[in-house]
Amino acid sequence: MKEDNFWAKITRFWKKLRRYPVIPIAILFVVVFFAIFANLISPYSPEEIALTERLTPPFFMSGGSTSHFLGTDALGRDVLSRIIFGARVSLSVSLVVIAICSAIGTILGMIAGYLGGGFDNFLMRFTDAALAFPALLIALLLGAVFGPSFYTVVLSLSVLGWAPYARMIRGEIIKLREEDFVAQARIIGSSSARILVKHIFPNIINTLVVLMTMSVGLVILIEASLSFLGVGIPPPTPSWGSMVSDGRNLFARAWWISLFPSLAIGFVVLSGNLLGDWIRDRMDPRLRQL
Amino acid sequence: MVRFIIIRLLQALITLIVISMVVFALARASGDPVMLMAPPMATLDDLQAIREYLGLNKSLPEQYWTFLKNSTHGDFGTSIHNRQPVSKVIGERLPNTITLGLSAILLGISVSLFLGVTAAVKYGTWLDSGVKLIAILGQALPSFWLAIVAIAIFSVWLGWLPTSGTGGPDHYVLPVLTLSFFMLPIMTRLIRSSMLEVLDSEYVKLARIKGLSEKIVVWKHALRNAIIPLLTAAGITFGTIVTGAVVIETVFAWPGIGRLMAESVVQRDFPVVQALVLLVAIVVLMVNLLVDIMYAYVDPRIRY
Repeated sequence: MKEDNFWAKITRFWKKLRRYPVIPIAILFVVVFFAIFANLISPYSPEEIALTERLTPPFFMSGGSTSHFLGTDALGRDVLSRIIFGARVSLSVSLVVIAICSAIGTILGMIAGYLGGGFDNFLMRFTDAALAFPALLIALLLGAVFGPSFYTVVLSLSVLGWAPYARMIRGEIIKLREEDFVAQARIIGSSSARILVKHIFPNIINTLVVLMTMSVGLVILIEASLSFLGVGIPPPTPSWGSMVSDGRNLFARAWWISLFPSLAIGFVVLSGNLLGDWIRDRMDPRLRQL
Repeated sequence: MVRFIIIRLLQALITLIVISMVVFALARASGDPVMLMAPPMATLDDLQAIREYLGLNKSLPEQYWTFLKNSTHGDFGTSIHNRQPVSKVIGERLPNTITLGLSAILLGISVSLFLGVTAAVKYGTWLDSGVKLIAILGQALPSFWLAIVAIAIFSVWLGWLPTSGTGGPDHYVLPVLTLSFFMLPIMTRLIRSSMLEVLDSEYVKLARIKGLSEKIVVWKHALRNAIIPLLTAAGITFGTIVTGAVVIETVFAWPGIGRLMAESVVQRDFPVVQALVLLVAIVVLMVNLLVDIMYAYVDPRIRY
């Protein structure tokens, strides 16, 4: 009887839990934890070279040991430590880029949607062009101009990244500005700035959160591609993309060098996308594409 | 219609001029090209001579005008890396990218049409879930890694296909497959949702009531209308193919303009990068222009 109760409780709890994206949240939580406490968790320094231990396989293969859990690369650097520190790069790039893009995109989209007319037309032509242009190409162009660095990566991902925000927010504002509560605010004499910030902005927060979550995966993927091509975060700083690139010619002999970082990219991007989908369905089902 | 096309053409032209200005400004911001070209023992007079030779002593608007004039003649200057005209370097590589890209687009469209339509017709079954899973995984896994794994399996372990470079038709298999995978997830999702909407419509019901076979209903009546919204996605698809070409050509050592771009960036060969960005910008603008015109033509409800 008592056991029955216990199991019933467990199943009920599990059913409740299943409505939330538990696994994606857990994965993202672990990655954020890695990124913050990288110096405390990682068993080795990510840049420490140990030529005598180069190409050690991971612990579950013959020749591997638990001292290098996921093996070492061609310079004897610990793959696990590099993945843990790589989380820092991926997350900091995506946080900064998304903060910049959403801020610029929201401000431009709000002004364009509210004012309409010439400025709106001009901005939307600009947005169309920015949306059509491949982001990687701009990033490569800026990489060639300024040389690879953290700031170049952030800059080149932000140059076009504001466009989807501006487009989406503008559409929302055009719908909202015809609402009665906006008219009422205007009647009691609120200024345009006050109406935008106090009355309209709270209504677009949902859309904004959805867009921001959905773009985490995309930003991480482009950053990884840039690092893979050698114009991302410069070595020796470990980035998942450049780790995959380091191991690509050794794949037949030492697959672990590029497999584990690509799994890290895959899992994080997948978690970001799934979480984004879930938040979208929750907060703004209109954006759903079935 | 003619007025619409003319307005769009003018808009595209203005966008192109803005892009060329940005590229020109960035080229000047990238450092003094004279320092890159001059020998280390050059005197100040030598530097001045090179500067005059390159036209760098003139004012910026004048320099921009020369740049614009030369570009329209197809003269993009000389590659810093191998001292050949940029137009020649690009011209040698362009056909390789066009064949690779076109085959990947054709393959990608046919596979995603098949997958998307199947998923929509079998809505809610395990087939639908399977296609959704492929789309979700395909959006998350880094494509460069997929290419590496494909090389490891099919070229290194099984030895069926060459690892890299160009040659016979077997050289095409892996690059085309992996490149088409770039556009697969997004296209499949779009086709599926557009198909689901159309399958729910009245005329599809009518076609079924008429007693037409399910095959004709789906592939003829429904698909024709489901494709219209996809036209707008064509521009974005082209963008992903360009991005994909840079990555895939690098992995497979494919001598196309994608790898040329990546190499030139690493070597900081700015004239080549600049010309390639302009070239892609022109093609992107043209693709979008064509899409807009086709959209207005295919769907008479849209008139500007």
